[in-house]
Amino acid sequence: MTLLELDRVSLRYRHGPHERVVLDDVSLQIERGELVAVWGMRRSGRSTLLRVAAGIEPPAAGIVRFAGRDLAASAGDELGGGIGYCRLDERGSEAREVLDELTVGQLARGVPQKSARELACATLQRVGASHCAARGVRELDGCEAVRVALARALVLEPSLLVIDEPTKGVDLLERDDILALLRSLADENIAVLMSSGEATALAGADRALSLSAGRLRGSHSPELAEVLPLRRRAGG
Amino acid sequence: MLWGLMAAKVVADKGNGALRSPVSWALLGLVIQRPSYGYELVQRFERTFADALDLSSLSQIYTALDTLHRRELIEEFAVDDEHQDHPHAVVRQPKPHYRATAEGVRHYEQWLVGQIREERRRSRLFARQLSVLPPRTAMGIVERCEQSCLEEAKNAHPAGEDGPPLADRLLCEEGRLAIEARLAWLEYARRELQAQVGERTASR
Repeated sequence: MTLLELDRVSLRYRHGPHERVVLDDVSLQIERGELVAVWGMRRSGRSTLLRVAAGIEPPAAGIVRFAGRDLAASAGDELGGGIGYCRLDERGSEAREVLDELTVGQLARGVPQKSARELACATLQRVGASHCAARGVRELDGCEAVRVALARALVLEPSLLVIDEPTKGVDLLERDDILALLRSLADENIAVLMSSGEATALAGADRALSLSAGRLRGSHSPELAEVLPLRRRAGG
Repeated sequence: MLWGLMAAKVVADKGNGALRSPVSWALLGLVIQRPSYGYELVQRFERTFADALDLSSLSQIYTALDTLHRRELIEEFAVDDEHQDHPHAVVRQPKPHYRATAEGVRHYEQWLVGQIREERRRSRLFARQLSVLPPRTAMGIVERCEQSCLEEAKNAHPAGEDGPPLADRLLCEEGRLAIEARLAWLEYARRELQAQVGERTASR
């Protein structure tokens, strides 16, 4: 079963008498373990596409299905569960340490404190941000903030990770480390949907798509391996 | 400018027309990098240019060496065989070694700079060729070019911590930034063409 499916999704924003097409008949399928990168310029609709894909914003037309279920009908239950949406603009509580930030979300889901802290530590290590554990969220530089945002989503063990502009504000020399990290997450069978305004961030993706004036271009469906029929055994 | 014209004339005079083969220029670059003999040059050529230049056969390298030599861009020189004095040494025909002449180095530098101009010329030509097409046809070309760029961009694997050597990383980054610029230009072209399609539809 396809993990995420956008089926003829459209969305328009109305500003007074003006109407802007943000997503125009977008169809997209993402499988587990796939890294799909969407490139688009400013106002192309790329951030909206990701919010719609994560179930944060409902489409005006079309359906978004996650693991076969209509996201509009599941009333946002998928967020923080099966779908991990990385908020890079979320700076958290000024006083709270990164480790506490990662623990709180789990406690809210009923995970015991000890297990929550252990998983938080392991996740920070996984994304290469162990050194940030005792730091305040606002003390992080661009690259660290991305790693911590990824950890914040990953700690809830999603099967789909959605991240908008993961390399924005990241030092040029550290950019590829972030891309390699996203690639490695996909290799661990997590589906990753990311967007970027920089074509350099498409490196390592399984599929690179472009979005222009709300229209998605490129390979919308994954290339599936050819299935060869098994040869019948003699007499079988 | 005058010197450039004169130099180009010299290269053309010593052979049959201007030196056009990219294989010859690539080979000249390798000889400038380090004096060498035929077989070693073949190996270095394959290591350095395997993904950039196609050889029809290995004899192309020897033909190119001959051309460069005839045009005095490279010259032969003798190398002492260190094993020749050995009592049991087999007496062999010495391998011709090649090094670049001063003229060869000058021409190579001039040609490299010219390549940037050539790239700009090709871009201008592409833009003009695109603009003479009907807008809808041109938009189809833009989409196909964009697909090709996206494909190239995703195949540029991120270096990560155990990345390739510096030279490869520099080359990779240059390629990625070039694609970045091309994608932005294609998006601009699409918007312009879309506007033209809109105008034509409205005027009907």
